[in-house]
Amino acid sequence: MKKLAESSGIQVAYEEVDVVTTGTFGAMCSSGAIINLGHADPPIKIQRAWINDVEISHPGAAVDLYIGATSMSETKPFEYGGGHVIEDLIRGKEVELRATAYGTDCYPRTRVETTLTKEDLNQFYLLNFRNCYQRYNCATNSRDETIYTYMGKLLPRLGNATFSGAGELNPLMNDPDYETIGIGTRIFLGGAQGYVIGEGTQHNPGNQFGTLMARGDAKKMSQEFIRGAAFTKYGATLYVGVGIPIPILNEGIAKKVAIREEEIFTDVIDYGVPRRDRPKLGRVSYKELRSGKIAVGEKSVKVSSLSSLKKAKDIAENLKSWIENASFYLTAPVETLPTDTVAKPMRQTKEIAFVENVVQDAITCKEGEKIESVAQRIIKRSVNHVIVVDDQNKLKGIVTSWDITKAVAEEKRKLADIVTRRVITTTLDEPLEAASRKMAQHSISALPVINKDGKVLGIVTSEDISKLVGGRQYG
Amino acid sequence: MARVLLRFSKEIVDQPIISQVILEEKIPINILSAHIDQQGGEILADILSAHVENAIKAFRERGVTVEVRKLIEVSDEKCIDCGACVSLCPVNAITFEKNFSVAFNEEKCLGITCGLCVDACPVRAIGRVK
Repeated sequence: MKKLAESSGIQVAYEEVDVVTTGTFGAMCSSGAIINLGHADPPIKIQRAWINDVEISHPGAAVDLYIGATSMSETKPFEYGGGHVIEDLIRGKEVELRATAYGTDCYPRTRVETTLTKEDLNQFYLLNFRNCYQRYNCATNSRDETIYTYMGKLLPRLGNATFSGAGELNPLMNDPDYETIGIGTRIFLGGAQGYVIGEGTQHNPGNQFGTLMARGDAKKMSQEFIRGAAFTKYGATLYVGVGIPIPILNEGIAKKVAIREEEIFTDVIDYGVPRRDRPKLGRVSYKELRSGKIAVGEKSVKVSSLSSLKKAKDIAENLKSWIENASFYLTAPVETLPTDTVAKPMRQTKEIAFVENVVQDAITCKEGEKIESVAQRIIKRSVNHVIVVDDQNKLKGIVTSWDITKAVAEEKRKLADIVTRRVITTTLDEPLEAASRKMAQHSISALPVINKDGKVLGIVTSEDISKLVGGRQYG
Repeated sequence: MARVLLRFSKEIVDQPIISQVILEEKIPINILSAHIDQQGGEILADILSAHVENAIKAFRERGVTVEVRKLIEVSDEKCIDCGACVSLCPVNAITFEKNFSVAFNEEKCLGITCGLCVDACPVRAIGRVK
């Protein structure tokens, strides 16, 4: 269709093509499955339940459970989770259920342990409250260390970049005004037929971040298109395959499905900054993303996807063949998706603390100074950390009271020999929790606070954080 | 060209064995990566096929453990062709094919001395060979 529209024009493409099939296959964390176990004898009203050591939530009556894709195994966290439980059930594997309850007159039982396969379940429905993002950010990392995120592993100093989404093949990108997609639209979901049941959570059509809520019979799905996954040091999730047929009802729709990769843009976002509004480092098209390299400022950065374009194409092809051999019928939506909703940030009624709130003046020294004079400053100002700066007050290193003690023990005379030069730093606008996480990760007790130019603005120590936090609970 | 993994125990790690083999045996060796810790050292190197046999002998005589085998294993059954590993590979051993499947070039791979891709695979299709 896209090629036809390019070569022969929209008019011809509109006349020739009846339906365009789309597809996407990516990690969709807000996914899960609702299951009904049937009643035990004596009966139990489940309060807490686990399948293969993954805690399953219990949102309703006695034996209805929801397997959230991101819930992690208590014995193999970060490796196995709800997504894997769903995949294992779809594969026909036997899983282990364990449940506890408080016991009532009508549901006296307090424990149950059993094994199950999907055939034993009354219902096993994929019920995903946010799927199929229209497009997504491109992620990179400006920090000096590798970070592990929901956008995958990001190497230090813009060492690589990742992105997600099927670009011109993405379902919502081909119907950006949601003229044909809405409640009741029959779709390809995980290898079976499913339905759109509304807009997804955080549906944000204004900036092309539309999402879908979807449901489908997981008993009929295939592990080819539903896959449990684990992002190292981030958590578990589920790769979901979604395909949507778009009927070419008029020339306007024909024009929209003719969209190409070079017309779809996304922002390059610095995930090294652990804030809600992360800095934008640039803007790129999906065509550039597919090329394997993007320019971020002066730098050429290797980029690759987290979602599978190969699977997305498979899905669109599968859907096409279902339609051609009349095993799949298109439906008109009962109500199309909203085009005016926005994704608001959280209302926060308790203020959170930033480095700014605890920063202290830093005690500094120059590299040429004698160890003795630095030692005297440590005693006089009763601190444990002295920051080494140059004439422009730029960070050069850090010396601790421990370093000085060690220098005395080893009879070292020069400050230059004991300075730590690879210094972990923070900035004024970093949340205190993130700063404190950095200290714990690197087993250190203070961070110099620097500005963009590397000039030292102060220091934050773990003692100051403890004082501020006091009895208050973070996290 | 053959890829060999040379393991140096902590007893011999301070000796210039690589230089000895290059100079005394006149074997050109291309060092791809090197790693050292308290347990000893590891070097991944490429050696021209014509020299491999002599090189292995020379290294073993000097107490080095030599292994010629693959270092990273990819499970095609598990792989979902997402590409999460592609941008991480420093030597372009992982690339997209024309049909957007992910291809792994064993000859280019630096193996366990690199291993950047291993923990980035969301479906754990990439493993270190033990």
